[in-house]
Formats: sequence, structure tokens, C-alpha cells
Amino acid sequence: MTETTAHKPGVKRFIGIDWDLGALRSASPRFWLWVAFLGTFVVVGVAAWGAFITQGGVVMAQRDGSPWGLWFTNYMYYVGLAAGGLVVYASVHLFGAEQYRPLSRIAVLQAGVFTMLALLGVVSDFEQPIRLLNMVISPNPTAPFVYTGTAAGLYMVLCFVDLWIMLTGTGGEKLAFTMTLIALPAAIYLHTTTAFVLALNKSRELWHSAVMVPIFLTSATASGIAVLFIFAYIFMRVTNVRFKPSMFRSLATLLATVIIIDLFLLSVEVLWTFWPTSAIPGETSRLIEFVAGRYAPFFLPIFVLGFTAFGLLANRKLRHLPAIQITASILYIIAIFLKRYSLMAMGFSLTPLGQPTKIYFPSLVETGIALGILAFGILFVTICVKIMPLEVPKEELEAHHGHGHASLDEAEVAA
Amino acid sequence: MSQDKDRALKQAADLEEHPDAPSTTVSRRRFLQGLGFAAGVTAAGVIPALITAAPSAGNESEAAESGSGAPGGEENPLAEIIENDKPVNYPGKPVKYADPAGDQKWAMVIDVKACVGCRKCAYACVKENNIGRTSGFTYIQLLEMEPGEINLETANANYTEGGRADKWYLPVQCMHCAKPTCVYGCPVKATWREPDGIVVIDYDKCIACRNCMITCPYYARHFNWVEPEVPKNEINPKVPLEEKAAVVEKCTFCIQRTRHGQTTACTEACPVGARTFGDLNDPNSDVSIILKTRRAFRLKEELGSEPVIWYVG
Repeated sequence: MTETTAHKPGVKRFIGIDWDLGALRSASPRFWLWVAFLGTFVVVGVAAWGAFITQGGVVMAQRDGSPWGLWFTNYMYYVGLAAGGLVVYASVHLFGAEQYRPLSRIAVLQAGVFTMLALLGVVSDFEQPIRLLNMVISPNPTAPFVYTGTAAGLYMVLCFVDLWIMLTGTGGEKLAFTMTLIALPAAIYLHTTTAFVLALNKSRELWHSAVMVPIFLTSATASGIAVLFIFAYIFMRVTNVRFKPSMFRSLATLLATVIIIDLFLLSVEVLWTFWPTSAIPGETSRLIEFVAGRYAPFFLPIFVLGFTAFGLLANRKLRHLPAIQITASILYIIAIFLKRYSLMAMGFSLTPLGQPTKIYFPSLVETGIALGILAFGILFVTICVKIMPLEVPKEELEAHHGHGHASLDEAEVAA
Repeated sequence: MSQDKDRALKQAADLEEHPDAPSTTVSRRRFLQGLGFAAGVTAAGVIPALITAAPSAGNESEAAESGSGAPGGEENPLAEIIENDKPVNYPGKPVKYADPAGDQKWAMVIDVKACVGCRKCAYACVKENNIGRTSGFTYIQLLEMEPGEINLETANANYTEGGRADKWYLPVQCMHCAKPTCVYGCPVKATWREPDGIVVIDYDKCIACRNCMITCPYYARHFNWVEPEVPKNEINPKVPLEEKAAVVEKCTFCIQRTRHGQTTACTEACPVGARTFGDLNDPNSDVSIILKTRRAFRLKEELGSEPVIWYVG
């Protein structure tokens, strides 16, 4: 970091990062109100988890028919949001997309935090959390769960190490580039293995599809970029950092592209399940639940929200407007959550013996745990934004001026 | 789980004239009561132990007595099945709650022409295997099928009365597959296939992730969402009970009986003799003879998990 920041009052240097603790001292009451609000949810989550551990799985809505529930929905969802942020960051180094460089730090922070939330969800759902050590003592190489679990753990560490490297400037541009070379395949690996947890099951008809892997990657990238959009706008609001409108415009084009690929893949899946020459009773009788049955209120909105978001972003006249970008992002973030939920339920709408199960809707305890975890994540990011130097320094941006195709004038004017 | 299942369980209890179903309130960590159970187990263990010690006159011993005059000749048509019947992820010693495996390869044949869907097998299994009376599941499920098809999606597992002439019935339970997807899917090797082909679960190792329930194509595995409760005087001391709290359980081919020369509880309970249990390594066992002489099929055979429960009709 530059010398000037290091000498600001209240700034403490620890593990090579300048932590702006003074910002906490001078924080507004509104900030603390927000922190207290999130803290309440964290407490609720801990209490809900306590209820689960003392009273057992009966307090969950999960049953043999739906052995996995909200936690797994969130696992897929958060892992996706993590990977999406990373794709943006990685494209800076790998594809020379210099226009995204100002986002690199918050993108990596987003990736690390969401992976952490995904893991917390897993740990909070298992009734034998201590026995998770067995995963280390006797891992089973044929279980996809082992790969996604370890991938998530390593990936989380990787993200935070990467963030540290960026914040401290250790190793310079060369190490940053090397880290991208590790991080991007790691993100894809994490995502692929998560998709494999579903796709590698011949026992669950609608999950057992090779398209599951690419569709996971597109959903992840789309929802991740959408969250990054919102994060960037909030970041601008609460800090003095200003991003270029051209960066947002470019991001909007990328988002629209990924959304339409994502929707395309999903449509292909639906088509092939119902087409008379490919329809298999086990698959159609399950998917019919989502198209015209009990799960339709969760599944059909994906298309409505998705195509609306795409329509908003595809329009050249609207694409550059922040309000449109934010609306489209929110629509698609909701759409992907519904998609993860439907995806989870697709394995369970009928049992492997073809018997209809009770519709799964999370219990109060499950919801409490999930909200607690989410609140913890937002709280974590809130504090980080306050005290961490997440703004990419001007020198770094200028150093790469030559590589970027966008002019810096705009950024300088904004700043 | 469905209410019909609960009703079925209750019927099982009623059948044996135990009017009071245990209360549905569940407390998880009842150590003191657990100690009480343990004392009860030790005391009650004496009588069944005497019974099992006595030589049993089951199908196996009869088959064994019928001598070595095998009808099959030198080439055993079941050789390939036996060859593929191997332990999977076996840690080298038997699961805690059972004695070591013998040199048998266990298998079962169910005659769907004989089965009347009375669910006596399921009830006997609940009693034999300490399945929690309020847990909401049974190891065995009976599917009521429409005539002319084996279509799971149109089958009914929650029928109230069996024996209908216009339907047929398909009992389903853990198939102890030679290529068990559940064992492949367990992230911590808490479940494995023993050398005699019985797929077992180490209740002390299970992390409660329920992935095996996801990977099983037969819906044979069940999680104890509530602490398993069994009336004290009905506890089978040879089968774990408290260890099953908050872990997955399933059919063990009555490992506590079959490794002592007895047949399974469901085979014994079937009033129409629809079930045959025995050893594939013995060419004269009933299962071997049936498989060699009759047309048999397996459920979801196209998945290739190679179950060792066959159906004949």
C-alpha cells in the first residue's frame, strides 16, 4: 500500500494489510444499526442450530422422501455465487479484460465469503458434525461428495489467500497472474464436482444428466455476476470509490449473454424430457410436477424472471442504465435461487420407487439457520468493506492502462 | 413420511397386541434412560440367545442335508453371478454388531405370484430389527402394481388392504447389490458390503449426510429423524437400537439371524412362502435351484447395480 494510507490515524498494519480500524470508530449510527440488525439474525441462526442439535432432525422439514433441503439448495446457490464473482476477476488477467480490474478485490472477497457460507450450511445440517472428521480419516474416492467438500474448503482458503496477495501486493502482477491460473480452474472444479453430486446418480432421474455440469457453470456465472453488480453499486454508495459506467455496461453485456445460454440449456432439458421420442416415464412424471404440478410455482417463474432479465439487458437503449442493471440482476438472483430450489426438489418429487413425497418447504428451524448464515456472510462483508483497503489503487490501474482498451479518463473524472 | 406408513407401523404394533404406541414426543439425549435400556437388553438377551443356540431347522440345513448330488452338472450356471458377488469397501473386519461372515453368498428370491401384499414381512421385520415404532419407515415396502406392468410411477405403496385380485404386489427392500451405489456414494466409508454379500452400515461412523439415500435406486435406506423408540419388552437385544439415532439404517438380511443358520424374519413370517432365502455358493440351496430352473428378474436391472434379490412370477 502507499505510504500515505499507512499513516492515516486509526490504521493498523497487520499481516501486511492496512486495517482501517479508525473507520469503525467514526462509523455512523446507521452503520451500527445495520450491524445490530444482521447480528440479530446471526443470533437467531445460532439458536435455531442449537434447537436442531438438541432436538434432532425432527425439527427439520426434511424426511426420507426429501433427505436434503434448504441447506443443499443454498450449497449449490452459494457455490455458484462464489464462482461467478471469480470468473470476472479471472478474466482480468487471463483475457485482458482490464475494464473489470477495479472489481477484482471485491470479486475475490465475494467468492471467499460465499464459499464459507456454503460450507457452513453443510456443517450446520449434519446431525453428527464431529464425525465429519471421518471425511479426512477414511474418504471414499467414489463419492462425489468428498470432492465437492474438499474443493469448497480449499477454494475458500485459496480465495482468502488470493485476496491477501492482492491487498498486500505480494509477488506483484506475476503472482497475481499465477493465482488466477490456479483460481479459475479451482472454481470450475468446485462447480463441476457440485454438479456431479447430482448428476452422478443413476437413482435420481432428473439429476442424472450430463447437461447438469454446464448448466451449473452458466447458472453460477450468471448469478455470480448479478450479485457482483449489486455488490459493486452498494460498494460505490458506502465508499468513495467510483467505477466507470463503461465497466458496468460491459458487465451487463456479459450478464445478458450468460443468462441466455443458461436459459437455453434449461429449455433443452425440459424439451428432451417431454419429446415423444425421448420421453421416459420416470423422468416425465417427475418433471410434470414442475411444469404443471405442485412445484410449478417455483419452477415456472425461472423462465419469466430469466427472460425478463435478459430482455432488459439485451436492449441497447436500456442496458447502460443503473436501475435496469440492478433490476435485471435482482430478477436473475431470484431466478437462480428458484432454480436451485427446483433442482434440489427434482430429485425428490417422487421417491426412487415412484411414490409422490410430501412437498418440501423448509421448517422454521431450517429457515432460521439459513438466515443466520446469510446474515453472518453479509455482516462479514460489511465489516470488510469498512476496514479493508478493497479499492484497487490508482497506481495499479494506471500501470495496466496500456493493456486495457477502455480509456481511463472516465474513471479519473468519476474519481 | 406419509401417514399411511405410520398407520402401517401402528398396525404392526397392534398385530402383536401392544395397545399403547409410544408417545410422539422425542428427546434426543436421554442418557439415563439409555442406561436403563442397556440393563433391559442384558436381561432380555438370555432367552433369545438360548433360542438361537438351538439348531435350527431352516431351509438351508434341509438343503444341505439333501447331499451333494447336484442336478446342475459340472458347469454352474450361477458361476458368473457368484464371481461378481464381491465385498465392496470392506474394512477387513465384520461390522461391530455382527459376527464374521461365513463362506456363503446370500441371496433371496421373491415369488410375486404368491405374494398377497399382506405386509406380514414388513411387520415381522419391524419387530426383529428394532425399527423405531414412531420413526415412520419400514425396511420393506410393498408396491401394489397394476396388472400388466411393472411401472413404479403408477404403483401404490400406501394401499390399506392387500390381497386384491385385480392387482399384484411387489415387495421391495435393500437389494444388497453386488455393485452397491449407496456404498460407492458414502463419503466416509461408513457402509460397506461384507464378503457374504450383506451391505451393512457402521452406525458409529455415519456422519448423517444422507448421501446413500440419494444414491440408492430402491429407496431402501432410511434416516432416523426421530430417536428410534421401541417398547422395552420388544427390544431385540441382538440388534443395535440407540446407535441408530440420527443415522441411516436399512435391511441387513437379518445379519443377527442369518449368520447363525437361521433364515430372515421376513422369510419366516411370510404366510404364503413367497420368500426364499439362501446361499448361492451352495448349488443345492433353494435359491440356487430356483434361479437355475425358473425365469427370474431383478428390479431396475438396467441400472447394473446387480441386486441379489430376484423376483419370479
